[in-house]
Amino acid sequence: MVDILSNLILGFSVALKPMYLLYCFVGVVLGTLVGVLPGIGALATIAMLLPFTFNLPPVASLIMLAGIYYGAQYGGSTTSILVNIPGEATTVITCLDGYQMARQGRAGPALGIAALGSFFAGCVATLIIVLFGPPLAEVALKFQQAEYFSLMVLGLIGAVVLASGSLLKAIAMVFLGLLFGLVGTDVYTGAARFNFGISELFDGIGFVPPAIGLFGFAEIIANMELKGKIEVFTAKVQRLMPTRADLKASWKAVLRGTAVGSLLGILPGGGALLSSFVSYTVEKKVARDPSRFGKGAIEGVAGPESANNAGAQTSFIPLLTLGIPGNAVMALLVGAMMIQGVAPGPRVMIERPELFWGLIASMWIGNMMLVVLNLPLIGIWIRLLTVPYRLLFPAILLFCCIGTYSINNSTIDVIMAAGFGLLGYFFRKLDCEPAPLVLGFILGPMMEENLRRAMLLSRGDPTVFFTRPISLGVLTAAAILLLLTIAPVVRHKRETVFKE
Amino acid sequence: MKKIIFCFAGLVLFCMGLVFTVSSVFAQSYPNKPIRIIVPLTAGGPNDIRARLIAEKLTESLGQQVLVENKPGADGAIGAEMVAKAAPDGYTLLLGPNGVVVIVPALYKKVRYDPVKDFAPITQLTSSVVTLLVNPSLPVKSVKELVALAKSKPGQLNYASPAAVHHLTTEMFKLMAGVDIVHIPYKGSAPSMTALISGEVSIMFDTSLSTMPHIKAGKARVLAVCSAKRSPTMPDVPTMSESGLPGFEANTWAGVLAPAGTPKEIVKRLNTEIVKILHMPSVKERLSSVGDEIVGSTPEEFAVYIKAELERYTKVIKDASIPRIE
Repeated sequence: MVDILSNLILGFSVALKPMYLLYCFVGVVLGTLVGVLPGIGALATIAMLLPFTFNLPPVASLIMLAGIYYGAQYGGSTTSILVNIPGEATTVITCLDGYQMARQGRAGPALGIAALGSFFAGCVATLIIVLFGPPLAEVALKFQQAEYFSLMVLGLIGAVVLASGSLLKAIAMVFLGLLFGLVGTDVYTGAARFNFGISELFDGIGFVPPAIGLFGFAEIIANMELKGKIEVFTAKVQRLMPTRADLKASWKAVLRGTAVGSLLGILPGGGALLSSFVSYTVEKKVARDPSRFGKGAIEGVAGPESANNAGAQTSFIPLLTLGIPGNAVMALLVGAMMIQGVAPGPRVMIERPELFWGLIASMWIGNMMLVVLNLPLIGIWIRLLTVPYRLLFPAILLFCCIGTYSINNSTIDVIMAAGFGLLGYFFRKLDCEPAPLVLGFILGPMMEENLRRAMLLSRGDPTVFFTRPISLGVLTAAAILLLLTIAPVVRHKRETVFKE
Repeated sequence: MKKIIFCFAGLVLFCMGLVFTVSSVFAQSYPNKPIRIIVPLTAGGPNDIRARLIAEKLTESLGQQVLVENKPGADGAIGAEMVAKAAPDGYTLLLGPNGVVVIVPALYKKVRYDPVKDFAPITQLTSSVVTLLVNPSLPVKSVKELVALAKSKPGQLNYASPAAVHHLTTEMFKLMAGVDIVHIPYKGSAPSMTALISGEVSIMFDTSLSTMPHIKAGKARVLAVCSAKRSPTMPDVPTMSESGLPGFEANTWAGVLAPAGTPKEIVKRLNTEIVKILHMPSVKERLSSVGDEIVGSTPEEFAVYIKAELERYTKVIKDASIPRIE
């Protein structure tokens, strides 16, 4: 314990140096900006800035790049809430209730609770890194292919729970998402699938076109129909900050979200992605009145936002303790460390303590800077909503297109986003929700990859999912969740039968 | 209001026209406009680092901006195809890692570029050492012991392949050593390393860059290096040839290529400048931090090398009956 304290003191003494404070600030501001802009995300920004870090001292470059990453989680929720456009994959869920809150004139409280919940989660998660980093990393290693597959199954069943409307339609959307996820190449043989000879589709449809299209563009198209009734946003803006009642309603969600996110974030390869989805599912299941979800329930913002920030912080654990990057952003940070001559691995803690602890201390500082930055910004964002919609939506469209294009310098991505926009509009008319589709789309390829590898490793034996204890546990949870979801529907049908 | 917009648009068009006519007059000495180096992979990897290092120094020596553009996709085929089809005027270059230049054409049936015919090689920049790793719980301390263990347990040991080139290297190993180990593919070094460390797989070939930190931490055991001579960073590790597999060599490399038909003077100029850059001490140091050994060959040597590599991998694919991908 004393050891940790002295290390923390070392860390803060490094991170509080004016130059490093500056880099931290630059990082989190950039991250927020990038998170707010649709399309371009933390990954692309870090990749672009990587060469500039050649000439910076290693601690500075890591502090800045890390700041961009968790800063983007803060910024991404802003567009999700204000204009129903997910800035990052992890903020898709925030669109569901956050945007509805904005439509009810409660954008301020939504943004506020998102910022506060994120701050709490970020601080707690950083504490977890400090106290439990190495043992948690060992736990993460126990998750192998079979466990990942079971986790994805749990996630998919959760996807159905996401929908607030018809269960059947939600299942259909999940399957549609799975189908879209098939486009690309076969993970084992590399055979092309459904890419119609278009080489850009070789790696599959990216995440951004469907997300921006189904959520953002579809919303704009749908709003066109309302013709002038859009001003409902501004007419009803009530408060800028969450009320005491809001805070009371959300604090448990924040706690649960933090727990979920911290646990899932340590799993390399997609753990953090799932955190916001799982948190939403959990909130919906424990809520006294689940029908509020999808219509502006504040827990639907508080939980997932805390979860995705906690996940973003704990996803550093595999990198810092084992030297294994947990996702693409961490892989870039590995590159940044290597350029500086720091070989990422278990020895970094021992050989370069100022780097390790300085980075950790900077995470707290960064989170504090972010909440100080974001809370006052809420006022500015609210004022943005008062801009007449006929001027606002072309600007949104423009930013979305630029953001989508900038990912791969490819116009095909923009065209796909437009196509998904049209599709999303039709889905609205049919009362089908896009969130389960997006989740199916993300989880499908991951599920397949893990399933096939698990099969390869077990030489074709499917019982491996049930004989491995963690996998069995996760699948049992999935089965319970499925039963809980279907039971009310079955009960209702039985009631109608009995009535007749 | 409308008048102003029209006038402004007209002015913009006029200026654009002016710029185009003027620039076409200046198509004289090379280079007289910015040069692009296309990296056919996502930003941040070692190839990106190599490209940006060269670009930075080349900008100084050529007096023109040399920019790095990432064009990822299709395992690098998109970027490579783009350069293959670009104008052979020396303004579009490819940073070609061996995976993109040689492995993709060998593995895929329908590739839209020919590594020998569509490119004018400029120089091979670097070569990186590939290591053979096992999970420490495996009771083997040398390649010989590994081969013996694998022979006693055919079809039971798993190996991870982080990338196609390492998959082929392992198949080559299987053929030469006569062992039967099962291929588990992963997308990249990170998941493969996780699998090796956690024991999901027991064997892996990968570049020393990705593996060194884990070897040093004791999470993975290195049995041999696949270069002809021992690596200076790991002098205690024997080569594959020393370990009972004479002639077994594998590496990963990266080079710079231009579209076929690029004038010989431009190729020669670029070669001279880049080789000079490679020998700068600061560049050497930076490149060795990503595990590279400088090569800096001539265009002719590089062309011969590419052909030889293509033949070697095509042979492995045929001998190991690896199905070629549509």
